Formats: sequence, structure tokens, C-alpha cells
Amino acid sequence: MPKKKNPSTAPLIETRKLCKSYCNDELETPVLHDIDLTIHEEEFISIMGPSGSGKSTLMHILGFLDQPTSGKFLFRGEPTRTMSDDELAAIRATRVSFVFQAFNLLPRTTVLDNVILPLLYHPTIPPSERIERGMNAIEAVGLTDRATYFTNQLSGGQQQRVAIARALVTSPDIIFADEPTGNLDSTSGSQVMEALQDLHDRGGRTIILVTHEQSTAAHAKRIIHLLDGRIDSDSKKFKRVTAKNNHNLKK
Amino acid sequence: MLLNDTFRAAERSLNRNKSRSLLTMLGVIIGVGSVVLMTSVGASMEHLILGQISSIGAQSMVVFPGQQEGAEGTIVAGLDSLSFEDINALEKLSTVTSVAPAIMVGVDYATFGREKTEPRVIGTVPNYFQNREVTIQRGRLLEESDIRAARNVVVLGSEIVDDLFGRQNPIGERVKLGARSYEVIGTLESIGTQFFQNADEFVFIPLTTARAQNVQKYVNVVSMQSVGDFDLAQYDVETLLRRRHGIINPEGDSDKDDFIVRTSAQANDILGAVSLGLTLFITMVASISLIVGGIGIMNIMLVSVTERTREIGLRKAVGAKRRDILLQFLVEAIALTMFAGIIGVAFGLGLALLTAAIADKFLPTYDFVISYPSIGMALAMAFAVGLGFGIYPARKAARLSPMNALRYE
Repeated sequence: MPKKKNPSTAPLIETRKLCKSYCNDELETPVLHDIDLTIHEEEFISIMGPSGSGKSTLMHILGFLDQPTSGKFLFRGEPTRTMSDDELAAIRATRVSFVFQAFNLLPRTTVLDNVILPLLYHPTIPPSERIERGMNAIEAVGLTDRATYFTNQLSGGQQQRVAIARALVTSPDIIFADEPTGNLDSTSGSQVMEALQDLHDRGGRTIILVTHEQSTAAHAKRIIHLLDGRIDSDSKKFKRVTAKNNHNLKK
Repeated sequence: MLLNDTFRAAERSLNRNKSRSLLTMLGVIIGVGSVVLMTSVGASMEHLILGQISSIGAQSMVVFPGQQEGAEGTIVAGLDSLSFEDINALEKLSTVTSVAPAIMVGVDYATFGREKTEPRVIGTVPNYFQNREVTIQRGRLLEESDIRAARNVVVLGSEIVDDLFGRQNPIGERVKLGARSYEVIGTLESIGTQFFQNADEFVFIPLTTARAQNVQKYVNVVSMQSVGDFDLAQYDVETLLRRRHGIINPEGDSDKDDFIVRTSAQANDILGAVSLGLTLFITMVASISLIVGGIGIMNIMLVSVTERTREIGLRKAVGAKRRDILLQFLVEAIALTMFAGIIGVAFGLGLALLTAAIADKFLPTYDFVISYPSIGMALAMAFAVGLGFGIYPARKAARLSPMNALRYE
């Protein structure tokens, strides 16, 4: 169990009766109902569920890309009430980061420049540290020799590892990975999962993985199933799959 | 985000789409280029016209026969209304001096040996040269004795000298104007255009000599200078001529006169009106092309925002604030227009220089003049276009929701 048993430390994320609904043409579509969730530091969680189950919406709210309609959302014990766009942006710059299914790298831009992009918006990290931090993050995903390549010269798996390095560079509290292997073949997918597991196991990072693939979710230590906007099950895994080189991710 | 980073981001994104950036800039390049070209040409023209006016002198007045519609209207009728008797009367006025009548002599060719050219022959008196700024190059000007004796002597304009003599010294040689032979007594420095006539192709013979072979009883033009108050002199001249011609015109309505008085003050007024009109015209053309250019910029920036929706989403997801995105796109738009502005200035100056080189062949006194204020103004306008037309796309980009932007296909 990676969970810290320090009573003075509040959980990283705590939600109580979190609800979210979208309003379109005066028609309210509820997406999330009464989500009660506690996530501690250094956890590795998979959020699973079929499409439409609300898993992406939950990730967007937990990742400060969106705000809940009602309910409590505590971050490190502090309530996050309605925040302005700029306040949300400031939290995204420092606390959380994302790995997307579609990589979302800047084309015709080098690996290093892509990785240090979040540092441009970081309020405290000085420009002089950018290169060093960028190179460290690139080293962590094993792409040091590709640092000056343009991202479009890399394979899919390598591109996703660049995205992981980018997520790592600000040393965020949580890394959200939204279907990180969705656009990859099984070999590349396995490499990406290896990189994420490595960050967790050796780097002690908190990772929240959103996926609908059982084989990908199996890499996490705790799996939360969502169904129709509610938590269907929340279970800890004691025998998780470990991604290794030359091991193909079952799809 | 630091401003420095914003500039780098803008530069990179423009670099990534070089050919598109260039095409987008074309409108602004043409707009700024035409402002610079037209103002430079306008300034050169003004310079040229000012030069022509100053060659009359501030105290000079020129009277033509003819009738005019309105104060600055076209000359409509009557070329025989100024008689030699009128000249005699003018000479008796105390408020004017240096009265110099001139008549045009119809001569087709001037010849020297085998060389042949087409001159404009003017019969006049020595005062003529005092009323205009004329510099003698060789020999002497016409003198009173030449007039009294009605000598067959001629003073040549610089172009006629070039055509007939090349580098030879023409003084003492004899040229034929039509059938008659004249001795060359002097040559003039190049004058350039005066009142839009090429004064360098003029040749001057004594008025008396001209009258002896010309049945013409009237004067083509008379120039004079005021003594003392200029307005009083002009009033005296007009009153005298009206009385002699039996014109009742106490209001001084130029429509009723059969003569036209031209002064340098008047010429200045006309110049002012012309250059104001020119400036307004240029400003209008330039504004239209800059607006069209600006719409082009806005169009491309909107396309760019749509195309880069995911990039914007990503930047927001990693912590970019609205202001950061707004600034990035605004800086891109302004960088585009400013760069276009600089190219446009270079392009406009190049064309102005070319125009000057060509104009120099026809108007020897045309000078290449750079209008520095207009360059500054053109660049300021380019900046304003970037800001004005960049703000809408930039705001649109800044307001995108990061979630929707990231999902955009």
C-alpha cells in the first residue's frame, strides 16, 4: 500500500456528493451523481467505465479543467469553490498535468521545446532552469537521444512518452492520463505503461489513469468503475500487471 | 508567461507557416508600400512645383490675355486682348516696374550646319530675364541696344545648345531660325520646367526683331514686378487694363476680364489645393488597401485560431491564462503587420526611387524626396491594423474552453 498513514496529511483529493450536469438548450443532462471519492498521495488509480459513464468528466473536474455543478471538492483539504478561469489556469500550471490520448504535441517543434512548454506558464520556475528540468524529464522517459528531434519524426509510442515528460516537468501533485494507450499499438502501449508505472514505483508520483481497456487499467493499484455517472465499484488490486520491455499490451 | 516567451512563440508559429504568412502580409505590404510611394512622389512633385513658383519671384506678376472661368478655372477665350498700347500704359504705372512683354514667334526649326532642332522662339526685352531666375552660362543676355537696333542676335536655352552644338562653343556662331540667320550672343544654364513648359528649349531674340517679321499685334504674355505693396500693384494693373478694354467690373470678378493675372501667391494657393487633394486621395487609397489588408489578416488569424484549437487547449491545460493566449495571438497579428509594414516601406521606397529615375528623363528638376513622417505614419497604421484586426481572433482564442478545445477535431 503506497498510502501515507500520516494523520496530519489531508487526502490529496476528497469529493463529497459531487455532481455535474450540462445544460444544453435548457435541457439539463446530468453526467455525474453524488461522487464520493478520496485519493491519497502516491496512489496509482484507474478510472474505468464504458463511454458515456462520466469518467472523462470526472477527470476534467479533478484536473481543474472544469468545475462541478454541486457538491464538495477538497484539494489537499482545501475547498475549491467557484474559481475564475485564471485561478483554474494557475492551479493547472502548478498542481496537475495531463497525458492525452491524442498526445497533443506541437508539430514541427523539438521534443525539448514541447516538454518545457508548461514551464512557460509556470509562475515560480525561473527561465534559467527550463532546459535542465526539461532534459531531466526527457531522461525519465528514456528519450535523451531524441531531445532535438521534431516530434513528428517520432513513433507514436515515443510521442506519448514525450507527452509524459511534458506532464512531469513541473513536478505536479497529480498526473492525469486520459486513455494514454488509446492511439497506440500494443507494443508502444506497453512502453507507455511502463513509463507511467516507473514514475509511480520509482518516482512516487500520483497517477490517475482514465481508460476503458481492462488490460491498461490492470496496471494500476486501485480501480474505480463508473457506470452511468455513479461509482459502481472501487477496489484495490494486489496483483497488478507490470509492463516490461517486449511485453505486449493485450487489447 | 513572459513577454519574451510570447514573442518567441509568435515568431515560431509564423515561421511554421511561412508562405501563408507572406501571402497574408501582401495586403498590408501593398497598402504601406503605396502610402510610401505616393507620399514620396507627392513630396517630389511639390518640391518640383515649388521650384517653378520660386523661379518667378515673390514680387513678380504675369499677365496673360484670355478669359477665365472662376478664380482658378480654365482659360477659355481670347489670345489677342493684350496690345502693345496696353504695355505702354503699364510702363507708365508707378506701382510696377520691369515690364517685360513677350511674343511667341512661329518657327519650326533652328538649324546650325546639319544639326536641326525644334525651339520655342520668344521675342522679348532684357527685363524678361530680371523677372525670372535665369543664370547665364556663356556670353551675355539681350541688352537695350539689341532692342533698339533690332539686331539679329539670339540667346539659347541649354537644350538647344546641346542639340545644335554639343560641346562646341556656340558664342559668335550663326544659327538659322526659320529662314533668318542670327548670331548667338549667349547661352543659359539649365532652368528646367517653368509653368510646365520646358524652359530649356526656349530661344530669345529681341522683341523688335521678332515684331519686324511677325504681323502679330498683340502680346502673348507680360511679366512685371511690383514696387512697394504687391496688392496695390495688382489692383492698379487690373484697373488700368479694365479701363483700357472698356470692362466694367468693380467687383473684380475674373470671369468678366479678358486678361488673367498670375502671381506667385496665387500659384501657392493652387499648389496648396492640389497637394491637399493629392494627400486626401493618397490617404483614402492607402486606408482602403490597409483595411483590405487588415481583413485579410483577421481572416487568416481566425483560420489560425480554428486550426490551432487543440494547441490552444493544450496551452490552457498546462496553465496558460486567457491573457497569455490573447497576447500570443495579438503579438502574432501585430508581428505580421509590422513585418509587412517594414517590407512595404522598402518596397515603396524602391518604387519611388524607380519613379524618380524615370521621371528624371522627362523632368530634369525632379528630385527623389523621402517623406519620413509618412513612413512613420504608415508603420503606425500597420501596427494599428494588426492590433485592430488581431483583437477579435485573439479574444476568440483566449475564450476557448480548454476541454472543448482539446476535444476539437
